Amino acid sequence: MAERLANRLKERRGELGLTQAELAEKVGVTRKTVNTVENGVFTPSATLAIKLAASLGLTVEQLFWIED
Amino acid sequence: MTAISDAEKAEELSQRRTRMLPVLAILFLFQQFTFLNGGLGSGDRPVDHVRIAAWLVMSIVILVALTTGGGWIYSREVRRLANDEATRVHRDRSFRAGFLASMASCIAIYFLSFFEPMSARDAIHWVMTVGIAVTLLWFAFLERRANRDG
Repeated sequence: MAERLANRLKERRGELGLTQAELAEKVGVTRKTVNTVENGVFTPSATLAIKLAASLGLTVEQLFWIED
Repeated sequence: MTAISDAEKAEELSQRRTRMLPVLAILFLFQQFTFLNGGLGSGDRPVDHVRIAAWLVMSIVILVALTTGGGWIYSREVRRLANDEATRVHRDRSFRAGFLASMASCIAIYFLSFFEPMSARDAIHWVMTVGIAVTLLWFAFLERRANRDG
């Protein structure tokens, strides 16, 4: 079965009271990109994953994990 | 008056581009089919040259817009934001789909030419039309899907 990069972006964003647009602005991408990462449609680059994790106060491993 | 931030401008540009892509694809296809049905590809009157030039200009503008992301009236920062990581990946996938469609149309034209001779100009028109239209539509599909809330 194909591996999938799961994340807790939506949950963490909700905890911090951030909208997709606000998070997008913090990491320098559009809301669309945050939306696709959240929905698992798009696998971010290492650079974007690190930026997202840092903006949400987590490590990359806490924010993303691989699901079988 | 509230100043619009670069992020908001980029969002606006991205949304507008997503709405415009299918419209542009339809306009482009309409122009191509008018051209090909009219047999203007082999015409040599001044009006034929004008229409051929119009087709070529439109094709080049679309190709440049697809390659660079368009939005040339916006600042560099807005364009950078509107052409972020996901957009670049969508563009790459669209170009791949367009390339494959162009190659498929080349193969189809190769076999069709055994039964129905075709001028080089008409063949180029078909290949470019298929390649550009598939790239536009695929990019539109990926961008629309990305904007959809999950």
